[in-house]
Amino acid sequence: MPQISLTIDGIEIEADEGTMVLDVARKAGIEIPTVCAHEDLAPYGACRLCIVDIEGLPGLPTSCTTPAAPGMVVHTQTEALQSLRQRTLELMLSGHPKGCLVCPHRTDCENHRPNPTKAGRTTRCGFCSNRSGCSIRDMSFEMCPTSELDLPTIYYGYNLERSDPFMDRDYNLCVLCAKCWRICEKIHGKPALSLVNRGRWARPGTNFDKSYVGSGCTFCGACIDICPTGTLSDRTGRWHGQPDKITLSTCTLCPEGCSMWVHTTDGKVTSTRMWAFDRESRLCALGRFVFAQMHNAPIRLRRPYVRTNGESIPMEWDDALKAAAERLSAFDKGQVVVIASECDTRETRYLYQKLAVEELSADVLFVPLGGSGDPSLGERLRDGSVKAAIVAGDFLDQESIERLECLIAVDWRPSDVSRNADIVLPAAILSESEGTFRDASGNVRSVPCCSETVGEARPEWRIVRDIARAMGSEEFDYETINDVTSEIVDDRPPSPWNGSPRDNLKELPGHFRGHCIADSAQEVEMLGLPTKAVRKRSETEEEGFRIIEKKEIVPNFHLLEVEAPQVARFAKPGQFVIVMVSEESERVPYTLADWNEETGTITMIVEEVGRSSREVALLKEGGMIAHVTGPLGMPVNIEKFGTVVMGAGCYGVGAVYPIARAMKAAGNRVITVVEACSYYLIYWEDKLAEVSDEILFATKDGSRGTHGGVQDVFGQLLTSTDGGSDPPDVFVAIGCTFMMRSAVEVTRASRVPTYVALNPIMVDGTGMCGACRCTVEGETRFACIDGPIFNGHEVDWDELSSRRSAYANVEVEALSHGGPPEPLEAQAGGSAARGVCSEDRCDFANIRPTYGN
Amino acid sequence: MLKEETKNAKNGKKKKKVGEPRQPMPEQDPRTRARNFEEVPKGYTDEMAIAEAARCLTCKKPKCVEGCPVRINIPGFVGLIADGRFIEAAMKLKEDTALPAVCGRVCPQETQCEAECVLGKKFEPVAIGRLERFAADYARDHGEPDPDVTSPTGKKVAVIGAGPAGITAASDLACRGHKIIMFEALHQPGGVLVYGIPQFRLPKEIVQYEVNGLKKLGVEIRTDYVIGKTETVDQLLEEYDAVFIATGAGLPMFLGIPGENAIGVFSANEFLTRVNLMKAYDFPHHATSPIRADHVITVGGGNVAMDSARTALRLETRSTIVYRRSRAEMPARDEEIHHAEEEGVAMNLLTNPVRILSDENNRATGMECIRMELGEPDESGRRRPVPIEGSEFVIEADTMVIAIGNRPNPLIPQTTEGLDVSKWGTVEVNEETMATSKDGVFAAGDIVSGAATVISAMGQGKQAADAIHEYLTG
Repeated sequence: MPQISLTIDGIEIEADEGTMVLDVARKAGIEIPTVCAHEDLAPYGACRLCIVDIEGLPGLPTSCTTPAAPGMVVHTQTEALQSLRQRTLELMLSGHPKGCLVCPHRTDCENHRPNPTKAGRTTRCGFCSNRSGCSIRDMSFEMCPTSELDLPTIYYGYNLERSDPFMDRDYNLCVLCAKCWRICEKIHGKPALSLVNRGRWARPGTNFDKSYVGSGCTFCGACIDICPTGTLSDRTGRWHGQPDKITLSTCTLCPEGCSMWVHTTDGKVTSTRMWAFDRESRLCALGRFVFAQMHNAPIRLRRPYVRTNGESIPMEWDDALKAAAERLSAFDKGQVVVIASECDTRETRYLYQKLAVEELSADVLFVPLGGSGDPSLGERLRDGSVKAAIVAGDFLDQESIERLECLIAVDWRPSDVSRNADIVLPAAILSESEGTFRDASGNVRSVPCCSETVGEARPEWRIVRDIARAMGSEEFDYETINDVTSEIVDDRPPSPWNGSPRDNLKELPGHFRGHCIADSAQEVEMLGLPTKAVRKRSETEEEGFRIIEKKEIVPNFHLLEVEAPQVARFAKPGQFVIVMVSEESERVPYTLADWNEETGTITMIVEEVGRSSREVALLKEGGMIAHVTGPLGMPVNIEKFGTVVMGAGCYGVGAVYPIARAMKAAGNRVITVVEACSYYLIYWEDKLAEVSDEILFATKDGSRGTHGGVQDVFGQLLTSTDGGSDPPDVFVAIGCTFMMRSAVEVTRASRVPTYVALNPIMVDGTGMCGACRCTVEGETRFACIDGPIFNGHEVDWDELSSRRSAYANVEVEALSHGGPPEPLEAQAGGSAARGVCSEDRCDFANIRPTYGN
Repeated sequence: MLKEETKNAKNGKKKKKVGEPRQPMPEQDPRTRARNFEEVPKGYTDEMAIAEAARCLTCKKPKCVEGCPVRINIPGFVGLIADGRFIEAAMKLKEDTALPAVCGRVCPQETQCEAECVLGKKFEPVAIGRLERFAADYARDHGEPDPDVTSPTGKKVAVIGAGPAGITAASDLACRGHKIIMFEALHQPGGVLVYGIPQFRLPKEIVQYEVNGLKKLGVEIRTDYVIGKTETVDQLLEEYDAVFIATGAGLPMFLGIPGENAIGVFSANEFLTRVNLMKAYDFPHHATSPIRADHVITVGGGNVAMDSARTALRLETRSTIVYRRSRAEMPARDEEIHHAEEEGVAMNLLTNPVRILSDENNRATGMECIRMELGEPDESGRRRPVPIEGSEFVIEADTMVIAIGNRPNPLIPQTTEGLDVSKWGTVEVNEETMATSKDGVFAAGDIVSGAATVISAMGQGKQAADAIHEYLTG
């Protein structure tokens, strides 16, 4: 290609003719902001952030779509360009929930809560699983000081789509960069998703809003991985944040042996990615989504076991290996058989082969993917010519197992084989162990070890080596995997898999080492893969507490009205209930937001921030909740104080309502301060107005009332000099820990009592367990029976915050289970009829911006 | 007594096998069971039970009955077992105890009935607990006749707390024709039997079975109902003829040492509740966050400490007990200490925690302890542990379970007017009638005696049931 020369920002640059100006600039180290351009995609010009000024050309063309020409003089950083880009970004972000970007308390808040909240709907960066990897966020800090992002957010109110396997979709975050459907088209030719609807309702979507499974999607994950926002996300991987290590490896779930990136954090596989965004490198659903889940499956073999006198007993490795060697030595030539998977690494297969031939004079059988044991094996077991077996997978039927005199299982999860085995040796799998892999086409690929093993499991090549050593062999003196690799001369590739899983969901292999993959990664059952697990589908509760009303009143906040007469009869302001949605649920405390003794109902406001609140979010009117216990906790002390200021944020808006009502009834002047990230998240304004003498607002994006939070309004009220109004006598603040803590700091100097409702983790809620202990006035108190309401000036906030994070890791893990995917048959009926754009949205009352106060 | 037996034999009566060894209890292998939640002792077979029962001397004045807090007719039921009349044996048990399958498992027989057994003076005592368990299990598996219930009296009694004391009293009173409404704060009835005692010591199906038995008697059980919060005792008195408080000792004690609020420090109640009641070991099917630990230190030497340490093993962690006195002073049942040792719980005796160390995220990393030596006996008669100066050392661990006891739950004492409470928070009662200072209100179990045993709670429950019946009909 002919070389040309052009000038960008005063620097003369050589480039291939026809290269786009953006790429030329990038190559020269000149950064031009862009959201929609991607090195693996054709130029598109959707975001218009990469505009440049080219001398002699009219207007400001987008550099991603303008080819470089000889002698061009390009400016990328003029004042006019910067101002226009700011406006462009501002417009883009007006359709993207951006509260945190313009929040005056962002830095403190993010220090307080280093990881994003695991919300159902993302209504700000603090609730976004993509926060740590978001380029738009970084760009906005760089390009737009907070004051430049003035346009209020329009929240579209699209429903969350979470009924497909593996992926969650929240179109409310989409900035229409078009990367998702462009990469889908590039990789699959016939894309599963494209732009749907028009004008302001344009968004990515499938034909007729079918489910992704029904739209021909193969779940390669490219759209998720290329999405710059949190719109498309990987359900199990999304809350793990950015990986601390990325390793190029090989997927050995099938003989294809696709290359891929393995993402790990603290030695744990969190996700996998195709190694390049092109058709050849695409992964199948198993490679992209299931690989990580297999590693993290809760059920694994963790310790060696040896059967003694009929009991399978946990043993140290050395004893188990010795036992294996002893038992194997008791058999004659040819009486032992070794059965392993063809998809093992070359080293493991080689060592099995060597062990079989040199030490055991045994037959070795490598089972092809999806195949079962050797058909002649049953015969040989019956005629007694085979008496013992080393089996590395779920490869034997019950009859064969029973006929064996000695069975040694080398495996990663329990099966009938390991349950009946005389010796169980737990093996590391996939990326937990290193080696090389010959794929079905004969190429040798590297499989580096990049994650930690589970329990005491060991790499299989070492297990086989150590069995041989325990048998007294000196031919297995391998120290590293390379010692084994270098000895392999002539190994056969595994038999090819009969199907193309990367192109057809129906052709995914259903087994790994003879085990059903669905037993470790439940979602693949939705794709029709087999399972052996007998799963008890949680049935609709028949006994319990009837749901009278269930509604998402503003994004991510669910109003739940339940029939619980005994609670309604005795409830007092400031009390809470413990809820168990089903018999398998956690016991979770929710503050009482309202109750009605006559109808016997209670109302709670639940913010979806994890697995248990997601269970609440998915409830439906008319259904049942298994358990509601309460009212619990000490009620707020209600008396005539004078002026009472109620600060409410998030779920606290519901929680302060009954307190405000009682305070007002007791003759106080009640000023209520409502905090929300943005105007569209304010709820119960009318209800609060009824019980307040004055109602003030604070929003983190400044879209309504004070730009800031409850703490800022408290500060104003304390220093307010406009005569007439008395200074506050009591403050009450209920909301997130950060808000309450900040509010308390503001009122501390004034010594005006500031009551807060602490929200530690609870189990029983009646004082029995002490999980909720907090330090108040230097003493350990139980929030459930001594609180939850305390004077915030006396609370040890650091301790409270740390104790709230006790289960942070487990909470991420929990989200990938007990989740919402409905079985596909339930969706099928509706899928064709769906697709009318008004049905893809929630009817939120309050999502039109008001422009100013 | 022995002479008499010989005489009986001469008279041609059934020959007693005096001095025959006690039938051993078949158990799971310690190393297998340390990894599962299945019950450790497997129970007697029919033959073993008959053989063991035949060892009983059927004393005229059975001392064993005196050793039993609920005065079970021990020779009566043991004799029926010896004759192979298992169901009748179970019925005999039911005359005196509402929960034979439970007591047979968790009672400290070695300090009660079996301690008094005459046979024990020279040989091993009759395995009364194992026989009790056998009869109850047999009846449960083979179906037993419903108990006799007298005609309704029209009186209503509120029983607060569905634990051992509450179940005993409810069962007794229901049989006498009173209408019983039981209130339980948790979502499942059973109290400490479901949240505290682990599955491997007391399978939950047994508790469920006993609770179903109560329902058959017409007892109404309202779970999720916290008396003292949902409704007060005073409010109950407006509706019920009598109120029985059996809310137990549900307020965990902590050591009061620095660092105790670090993440990873649990009360035994929380630790056991998460695993037993909330089934956190079955995460993610059950949603309660599991406890993932490398090394669990349990502080304490009682049965609850043993339960916690053994539960820790079953979560696949290393498990250590730290106790400030020596093994001899441990209040736990000998069998439980033995089981814990056998399964691989490390014992750090004569060791007292000084403070808990944690990292910058307030996660526990270790426990600083000090070595103790035994000094002069204290009020309890046990030699008082005295710290050895300068002997501090650190045990690394990420999880600690504080199992040093419970105080009575304050919810009811706090909210009931005119209810006399001791300085320890226990409800004051007349020891004969279990009547409180408030007319029509009775109390029993750990809310009265502080943290004690299942059987003593049952004994008091029985006493209270008699007194309540008297109160209602007298």
